Amino acid sequence: MGDLPILHVDMDAFYVEVERQTDPSLIGKAVIVGGESERGVVASASYEARSMGVRSAMSSVLARKLCPDAVFVRSNFSRYREVSKQVHEIFDSVTPHIEPIALDEAFLDISGAHKLFGSSETIAWQLRNDVYVGVGLDCSVGVARSKLLAKLASEAAKPKATRRGVQPGLGVYLVPPQEETSFLQAHPVEALWGVGSVTFAKLKALGISTVGELALVPEDVLVETLGTSHGMHLSELSRGIDHRRVHSKRKSKSISHEETFAQDVFDRSHLVSEIIRLSDAVSTRARRKGLAGRTVHLKIRRPDMRYLTRSVTLSEAVDILPVISETAIEMLDQLDLAEGVRLLGVGLSRLGAPGPQQLTLVGEELSDPAWGQLSAAMDRIRERYGEAAIGPGLPRKNEGMND
Amino acid sequence: MKFRCERDALVEQLGTASRAVSSRGGALPVLTGIHLAARDDLLTITGTDLEITVRASVSVAVTEPGEAVLPSRIAVDIVRSLDSGAVEVEVSGEEAKIVGGRSQFSVRTLPVDDFPVLADPSGDEVTVATADLAAGLKQVVRAASSDDARPILTGVLMSAEDGGLRLVATDSYRLAVRDLPDATVLSEGQKVLVPSRALDELSRVLGESEEVRVRLGEREVTFNVSVKDGEVQVTTRLIEGEFPNYRQLIPSSYPNQLTIGREPLLEAVRRVKLMARDTTPLRLTQKSDCVELMAVTQDVGQAHEEVDAQYDGDELTVAFNPDYLIQGLEAALGDEVVLETLDALKPAVLRSSQGGDFLYLLMPVRVS
Repeated sequence: MGDLPILHVDMDAFYVEVERQTDPSLIGKAVIVGGESERGVVASASYEARSMGVRSAMSSVLARKLCPDAVFVRSNFSRYREVSKQVHEIFDSVTPHIEPIALDEAFLDISGAHKLFGSSETIAWQLRNDVYVGVGLDCSVGVARSKLLAKLASEAAKPKATRRGVQPGLGVYLVPPQEETSFLQAHPVEALWGVGSVTFAKLKALGISTVGELALVPEDVLVETLGTSHGMHLSELSRGIDHRRVHSKRKSKSISHEETFAQDVFDRSHLVSEIIRLSDAVSTRARRKGLAGRTVHLKIRRPDMRYLTRSVTLSEAVDILPVISETAIEMLDQLDLAEGVRLLGVGLSRLGAPGPQQLTLVGEELSDPAWGQLSAAMDRIRERYGEAAIGPGLPRKNEGMND
Repeated sequence: MKFRCERDALVEQLGTASRAVSSRGGALPVLTGIHLAARDDLLTITGTDLEITVRASVSVAVTEPGEAVLPSRIAVDIVRSLDSGAVEVEVSGEEAKIVGGRSQFSVRTLPVDDFPVLADPSGDEVTVATADLAAGLKQVVRAASSDDARPILTGVLMSAEDGGLRLVATDSYRLAVRDLPDATVLSEGQKVLVPSRALDELSRVLGESEEVRVRLGEREVTFNVSVKDGEVQVTTRLIEGEFPNYRQLIPSSYPNQLTIGREPLLEAVRRVKLMARDTTPLRLTQKSDCVELMAVTQDVGQAHEEVDAQYDGDELTVAFNPDYLIQGLEAALGDEVVLETLDALKPAVLRSSQGGDFLYLLMPVRVS
């Protein structure tokens, strides 16, 4: 049996630390990266801010309340991407089997690296050191037999933000096979992938709050409560069974664009224009990647923050604007939007290379060949003269005084 | 209710009727059950999903007449698991006992009063030779759509044509037409749309019977067939709505005609298809004395084969979904077929070189 094969590497407060490199005056202060406006959200918070209760994805207004002294910094994603690329190059020097999860997070399969670099533990420490030397940033490394455990382990290795201040982390945390059960089962169920608020509530109703308690529940009870695939999956995870591999080449699963409005929108024609604009962005990106998708998604967030999502699967994969926008508009018209719309999103999934097209006897193909040519022309114009050079004609927004 | 019968006969008939039972009862849980009625030494087994009803009968020794509804899946599994020989079924209260050899099962029954009362078939009975109908169904039913979002296309059109019966089905990618000149089922001008799923069930039981008795009602059609172990009746709701005007889809003349051996082409297509993965089409390049078949799947590989043929027309490459082409070739009659094409984007016609009663219209795949 080989050494622990999977590493999960997670940068510590990545965006904040990158900002501190640019502006050293931020060091030691509570820093929040994210928009400060009424609708802004926290993209990342320094451990000082976290010890005051600030969390990622929290609204900036609330973050400000919790941590009035925090310094807000606008996010600079192109800079983060640049640093992320350097970090990934360091990963690359250890193994080609890297599955990037986010700019600041990745799984590494090091099962073939032991001969060159030593034990998993040695590799983990060396990697942490290489990242620090290379880009001047700290990261936490979890080492285990599965992705689930490695991810939980990197969490255990991190610095902790407590009310009394920041406690330094271990940096590297290993979960040897004999400790898997005790390590895993002490975690709360929310630590498992796939346990969101809905599942959490269902499990709570069963009196389950830790992974250990979940592991004691017979699989068929979970299947009955959560449905077959989700129930079986969670049951397996709770017993530490996680066969997912590190996928080094991640294909994009969906392409989507969304827009949060400065003010809630009630007017259908305004929403329709947005759908056309977003569908244009989605279809253009799909074509650029050489992909077409069969499922069109519409996502709406209402003023009460609740999401409404709908999707339709088409008979063929498409990559042109009108099919995507018309499908999305049909879905829009089936929703009750009397309360208004805060956010609108359009997406395309079940992606694949745009294949040959089976023609129909009655000429009801979704993708009109003329649109294919038109799209290609638009793509060429944009390539040459920029994104804004050409776009779809939009219906006029209804800008009456009393709307 | 109490009866005894042969396990093999019961398995056969129970299995046939259970195929109409819906796997999930939806609003009516009793529909997951199978209805048994025993009287006059006859057991009548009925399964239905309210759209299609299959009723199979088998002779048994009835000790105590009566009726009951058993959970279908489990009843079928139990009887099938028993060894050949006598099986005894006894229902009292809410419990059914099934005994065969030294095995005993007791099964909770479903409420018999909830089982829908199915109307007796209406309409005059006409008979059709099984051989004709069986062949026609085999050729046509597969071309029907299985997409429930398009109910009309899930049906097979049966229409009176020159004193005979015409069967037509299409899923919008291909269209199959078969004429049965000697089958007089419908009166002149009459046409009905029958769910292909029901005809598929009918095909399964046609087997060695000689004739099929058909009764056409206002909203449903009933087929009766005598089988080895008794009788099977398939009743189905008719699909309402207008079938597409298929006649206008069939071009009147074609500039390009390929005449080719049916079996050699079929075999070649099956071979080349091995390299047509997912949605990859099969390309046919028609030349004066042969046709070239080709399939290329990126990152997998390619296949190429030439088949001798006689070709009248300009050299033309046209691409098809290999499965649709195979199904057309399997359905076509005779040793030699004619494939007629207009261009790479228009429907092609496949028929027997001796003309005949079968026609298969097939839409190409556009390749860039």
